[in-house]
Amino acid sequence: MIRQSIYILLRRIARDKVLYFIILTNLAVGFAAFVVLSTFISDQFNYDKQNTKYDRIYRLQLFMDQKENTVKHTWSVTAALSRKNLVDLPEIEKIALIHDVGDNNKSGVFLSVDKKNQFLTRFGYYADQSVFDIFTFRFIEGDQANALVQPFSIVLSKEVADRLFPGGNAVGKQVYGENKVVFNVTGVYEDLPIKSSWRPVYILPMLSYKAITGNQNYESNYWSYAFYTYVLLKPNAGSASVDTKIYNALKDYRKEHHPYLRPMSKLYIDPYFENSTYVIIGLITFLSALILILSSINFINLQTANATTRFREIGIKKTLGFNKKRLWNQFMTESVALTIIAAIIGLFMAQLAIPALNNMLGSETFSRTFENWKLLVVIFVVTLLTGLLSGLHPAYVISSYNPVAALKQKFISEKTNGISLKKTLVTIQFSISIFMLIVGFIIYRQTQFMLKKNLGFNSETVMFANIVTEQKGSLEPLRQKLLQHSEIKNVCASDYIPFILPGGDDLNWEGGKPDDKVFVRFSNVTYDFVPTFDLKMVDGRNFSKEFPADRNKCLINETATKVFGWKDPVGRRIKVFNKDYEVIGVVKDYVVFSVYSPIEPHLYRLAKDSIMNNGVYAVSFVSGQEKKAMEIVKTEFRNFFPNDAFDFRNMQFLTENENALRAWKGFSKIMTLTAIMTIIISSIGLFGLILFLTQRKMKEVGIRRVLGFSHASLYMTLSSEFIKLIFISVLLAWPAAYYVYHVLPAGANKYDLQIWEFVLATLLILVVAVATISYQIIKALCVRLVDILKDE
Amino acid sequence: MVETTALHEVNFKVSKGEFVAIMGPSGCGKSTLLNILGLLDSSDSGEYYFEGIDVSGFGERQRTNLRKGNIGFIFQSFNLIDELTIFENVELPLLAMKVPPAKRKARVEDILDQMRIGHRKSHFPRQLSGGQQQRAAIARALITAPKLILADEPTGNLDSSNGEQVMQLMEEMNTAGTTIVMVTHSINHAERAHRIVNLFDGHLVIERSEKVFESINRVV
Repeated sequence: MIRQSIYILLRRIARDKVLYFIILTNLAVGFAAFVVLSTFISDQFNYDKQNTKYDRIYRLQLFMDQKENTVKHTWSVTAALSRKNLVDLPEIEKIALIHDVGDNNKSGVFLSVDKKNQFLTRFGYYADQSVFDIFTFRFIEGDQANALVQPFSIVLSKEVADRLFPGGNAVGKQVYGENKVVFNVTGVYEDLPIKSSWRPVYILPMLSYKAITGNQNYESNYWSYAFYTYVLLKPNAGSASVDTKIYNALKDYRKEHHPYLRPMSKLYIDPYFENSTYVIIGLITFLSALILILSSINFINLQTANATTRFREIGIKKTLGFNKKRLWNQFMTESVALTIIAAIIGLFMAQLAIPALNNMLGSETFSRTFENWKLLVVIFVVTLLTGLLSGLHPAYVISSYNPVAALKQKFISEKTNGISLKKTLVTIQFSISIFMLIVGFIIYRQTQFMLKKNLGFNSETVMFANIVTEQKGSLEPLRQKLLQHSEIKNVCASDYIPFILPGGDDLNWEGGKPDDKVFVRFSNVTYDFVPTFDLKMVDGRNFSKEFPADRNKCLINETATKVFGWKDPVGRRIKVFNKDYEVIGVVKDYVVFSVYSPIEPHLYRLAKDSIMNNGVYAVSFVSGQEKKAMEIVKTEFRNFFPNDAFDFRNMQFLTENENALRAWKGFSKIMTLTAIMTIIISSIGLFGLILFLTQRKMKEVGIRRVLGFSHASLYMTLSSEFIKLIFISVLLAWPAAYYVYHVLPAGANKYDLQIWEFVLATLLILVVAVATISYQIIKALCVRLVDILKDE
Repeated sequence: MVETTALHEVNFKVSKGEFVAIMGPSGCGKSTLLNILGLLDSSDSGEYYFEGIDVSGFGERQRTNLRKGNIGFIFQSFNLIDELTIFENVELPLLAMKVPPAKRKARVEDILDQMRIGHRKSHFPRQLSGGQQQRAAIARALITAPKLILADEPTGNLDSSNGEQVMQLMEEMNTAGTTIVMVTHSINHAERAHRIVNLFDGHLVIERSEKVFESINRVV
C-alpha cells in the first residue's frame, strides 16, 4: 500500500510538474531557511565544545554589588584569588591563571624571527602550564605536558607558527617579542576553533610574567583586577560551595565583591546573567519556526487544492471498499514523502548557501549542518512532524469524500458556517508575512541607528597606533613636526582612546558616604586629547599649559557628575590612589566602548610624560587627506621611534569591529535574508492559494459573466474577500511586531519606532497579494464562457 | 434548498443469479437505485435486504466491509485511475481485501488474460482504447468474484462492436452465476437481461420479464 502510494505520488509529480515544482519549492525554501537559522542557533550553543572536559571547566568572575555602578560583572579578577584562595579548595582539580601579553584590547605585540620582519599579533596570553590540563589543545609539535614549564618558552598556534616559520619545524627555534625578549618555541598546536570563548594564538609561561612586565608582587595583589582565572572542578564537585568559600576569603578586602564560578557552557552565550543573547536567539528561533509554519500552511493549501483533481481515484477506491483509514494513510504517506523530499532539497540548498552566508557575514557564523548530528536529528524530527501535521487537513478532506459525489466529480464544498479553516490559514499566512517583514525593518533600522549613531567624538578622521617603547621625554618635538604638514590637525597620546576600554577602580567622591564607592574608569592623557578627538567641554575647561598646577587636576565626563550627584562639579575633589584630584572640567559624554552598553563614569588625568611607554598615539587629519596623512604619520613616527614597531590604523577600524555592533550587523543580515525568504514563500503560497480559490469560482464567474456582470464588479467580488483577510492580519501582526521592538535588547540605544515601517511592510504584502489575485482573476475572466459552463 | 425525492415506494427484488436491466429516462432515479443497491448511498426510509440481512441501517464502515469483495461496479466512464497501470487498477479490490501479493499477481494476470488485455497490463488507462478500458474495468469488477455486479450504462461510451463484446462478457458472468443489475438506455442490450425494470419519476412502472420464468426455474 505504501509502495503504491509512492508510485501514485511519483506519477503525479511526473504528470503535473508545475504544481509539484511549486509545492516542493515552497517546502524546500522553508526548510532551507529553517536549516540555516537553526544552524545559526545551534552554533550559538556550541562554543567551546571542543574541550573534552567542557562540563567541568569554569571561569572565575566577579559580581560588584554597588548600585551606582553601570557595570556589575567582570571576569578580570586579581591574581591573588587564584594563587592564595583557590589553591586549597578540595573541589578544584586544576587552576590556570592567565594574563594578556601586552594589551590585546589596544593592539597586540610584534613578533619576529629575525628582528626585522615583525608582525603585529593580537591575542597572545601568559598562562600556567595547567591550561593544557583544563582546555583541550592538539599539539602538532612539542611536548604538551611540559610546554610552559621553562621560563621564556613560547607555544604557538599553527596560524602564527606558519607565519613565523613557513617551513615548519618551529620547536627549538627562537622568536623575538617586540625585539626585546627572546622566546624558545616549545610547541605548536592546532588553531583553536573560531567558536571558542578563549582563543589564544600564542602562549607564554606565566612564570615569566614577572620578569617581562616587572610586576613583582602580582600574586599577592588583591587590587589589580587584570587577570583571568579558569578552573577545572573535580568530577561531581559543585560550583556553589566554591563560590561561598572564595567570597568568605575575599570579604575582608571588599565585601561588596562577590566572586563566583561561571560554567563554560555560559561563557559565550550568557557570561553576565543578561538575557539579551537569549532574546535574540529566541527571536531567531521564533522566526525560523514561523517560516516553517508559513511554508507548511502553503503546503496544506496546495495539497488540499490538489486533492480536488483526484475525485476519480478517491471515488473508485471508496467504491471498491477501501476504508477511510486506508485512504487517510495513503495521503499521510504522500504528505510525509513530499516533506522528506523537500527537506533533503532544503538541506542541500542550505549547505550550498552556508559558505556564501559566511562570506557575507564576514566570519564563520555558520558551520556546516552535516557536522552536527544532533541538529540533523532535530531537522529530521521537525520534517516528520511537518509532514504529519501538514498532511492532516488534506487527508481529512480527501478521505471524507462521498464516493458518489466524488465519482460524479462534483465539487465538495467546504462547510461555510462559522470560521472556515481555509480563511483561518490564509489569515495566519498574511499575519506571519506582515509580521516578519516589519520585524525585518525593525532590526535593519536598529542596526543602521547604531552604525550611524553620533558617537560623540571624531571617529572618522583620526588614526591611531599603540606603541610600546622605552623612550622617555616629551612628544612635543614630534607633534610640532607633524603639525607643519597642512594635512595634520592635531596629535596626542593617552593610555586609552575611545573603543579601547581603560581599567579603573572603585572611588569615593566628595559628598558621598565613606562606604559609597563606584567603579570609575581612568586614563592619562596629554593636553591635546580633547581637541584631537573633538570632544566637547560642557563645563569648566580642558587641561592647559598655562596652568602648571593642572598635574593635580582632572577632567570627568557627564555621567560621572550624574553618578556623584554633583550640581556644580568644577572645583570638587576625587581621591585616586590616595591622591586628591580637583575637577577642572566636564567632558560631554561620548560612546566610550560600545554602542550597546551604557556610558560609565570616566576620569582623565594629565600624563606625567607625554611619551608613554605603552601609550596610544592618535593623530587627527584633514578630511579627505587620509592617504597623504598616513604616509606623513608613518614617516615621522618611524623617525621618532626608530626602535619600536607600530601599526597605524584608522579609528573606524575600532568602531566597526566593536563586538556589539558586529553582532547587530550579522543579525541584521540574517534578518534581511529571513525577510527575503518570507517574501518568496509568501508569494508561492499566495499564488497557489489564489489559483485554487479562483479555480473554484470559475463556474460562478462564468455564470455571472453570462448574466452580464462587468469585469470590474467581478474583480471586486473575487478580491474583496482577500483584502478583508489582510486587514484582519494587520490587527494580529502589528501588535506582535511592536512587542518584538519592545523586547529588543538594544541596551541604551534603541531607535524610535516609526509607523511607516509597519505601513510599508503591509503594503509590500498587499502588492504581492493584489498582483497574484489580479493575475488569476484576469486569467479566469479570459477563459471562454462555453469552456467553463460545459465543464459539468 | 429544495429537497427532491429520487425514488419513491420502489419495491424491488433481485434473486440470486438474475440479470436485471433498469431502464428509464434521465433523472428518473436509475443511478440512485444503483447507488443504494451498491451501498454507496442509503435511502431515507425503507429497507434493503442483502442476502436476507437488513443493511439499510448499516453505518459507513459496515457498508464498506460488505461492499468489499461482494459487489463489483462497472461504470459508463470506466473510472480507471489515471496514475495506476492496468495491472494496478485491476489489483485495487484485492488490495482493499488485503490479499497477499503472490495471490494478487496470479489472480490479476489470470483475469487480464480472460479479458484479452494481458499484454497491456503495464500500460496506463489513457494508452488504451475505450473497449480495452472497459474490459479492464470489468476485470476489476470481477477479480473478487463478487456476488453482485452493478453496471451503470457499461456500454454507454462504447461503439457497437465494443459494446457487443461487453454484453457478451456480462452474459458469460451471469451464466457463471453472478447476479447482475445493469442500467442502460439501449433497449437491445436491456432485452438480453432476464427482466427489465422501468423507472419513471422515481416510481417503478413496469416489470417486463420474458425470460423471468426460465431464469427462476434455473436458479431455484
